Amino acid sequence: MDRQAIIDRLLEHYERPRHYGPIADADVTLPGGIPECGDTVTIYLKADAAGERVAELRFEGRGCTISQAAASLLAEELQGARLADILAMEDATLFQLIGAEVARARPRCASLALHTLQSAVHHYQQSRR
Amino acid sequence: MSGYAHPEVLVDTNWVAEHLSDPNVRIVESNEDMLLYDTGHIPGAVKIDWVTDLNDPVMRDYLDSERFSELLASKGISNDTTVVFYGDKNNWWATYAFWVFKLFGHKDARILNGGRAKWIAEGRELTKEVPNYPRGNYTAPPRDDATIRAFRDQVLEHIKKRDGVALVDVRSPQEYSGERTHMPEYPQEGTLRGGHIPTAVSIPWAQAVREDGTFKSPEELKELYGSKGVTPDKDVIAYCRIGERSSHTWFVLTYLLGFPKVRNYDGSWTEWGNSVGLPIEKGA
Repeated sequence: MDRQAIIDRLLEHYERPRHYGPIADADVTLPGGIPECGDTVTIYLKADAAGERVAELRFEGRGCTISQAAASLLAEELQGARLADILAMEDATLFQLIGAEVARARPRCASLALHTLQSAVHHYQQSRR
Repeated sequence: MSGYAHPEVLVDTNWVAEHLSDPNVRIVESNEDMLLYDTGHIPGAVKIDWVTDLNDPVMRDYLDSERFSELLASKGISNDTTVVFYGDKNNWWATYAFWVFKLFGHKDARILNGGRAKWIAEGRELTKEVPNYPRGNYTAPPRDDATIRAFRDQVLEHIKKRDGVALVDVRSPQEYSGERTHMPEYPQEGTLRGGHIPTAVSIPWAQAVREDGTFKSPEELKELYGSKGVTPDKDVIAYCRIGERSSHTWFVLTYLLGFPKVRNYDGSWTEWGNSVGLPIEKGA
């Protein structure tokens, strides 16, 4: 995907975010943010009965295009994902998903949703112990 | 724009609309949101990004004169080009870029009064087309960090002086008092101490602009700063959190009010509030 295609996709997700809005009975609701540019993302996570996979993942947020589009792409990508895989997901993998050339220009914005989600998974797992 | 000390540095949306095709004028969009330009920009405008273009890629500093010259030449800007900045967030990043250009002594830099929001509010044309200009001819002198930029130790000396100086904290009242470590609507930082640099007066940057983001009148600005003891006879330093909001106040004091000695402390609270052994004060 060339740079313009990456940007077009990010803009489209920014304008029409997927899986946006709260989950009423979420297992974990966790806010995250970046002071540099004021981006915020709140992750709503509901796990399956076995506690091993994402049953539903949604988000709310505001801020720059990259942070919000990345949250949307991530929510789209990780429905049904294994929680262990989410914890193991590296920024480089996320950047490939978003478009590395653009993501690396604002790495903290790009990874806000992932890092908040990983914290949410930790919260969930600790609550089950 | 009449009544300002240097009215030539401020242009309105009509002026920009009339100079879109002027080869001696380059319109530059500088935003916090690095993809905002891609959603639509003033026709013919180029983008300069404060992170990827103006910052050193490794250390906390700005680019050097060689990189600056290359950047500007690549944008079709020459030493004698009139550069007009505009951007999001009430022109914070436009005045920030303006300030960096002045570190390299760019002669003719201006600000679009009201920024991107005013252009859009007036229903003016936006385009996604990225212009491609012939390469400019730019040679920048070494960056001058002495005249309009302040460093931590200089601020420390500054606050020890009793007379002839002023220190302006342009952050929100909550950040100044220490109640918060960032603007109220922004995520808060857990690692910083809250408060302000001793002797600083609180004059939030936003008090210098009207609701539409355009600058207040010269009389209003003189009253705003003068009532807090910030007067043109003083050596003034402005700071915020990372230097972008204070670049806005630096612009107001230097160009709209004509103060002869104003510096922007870009290390600002993220440096001062994290430094070991530096004094801070809390409270309004």
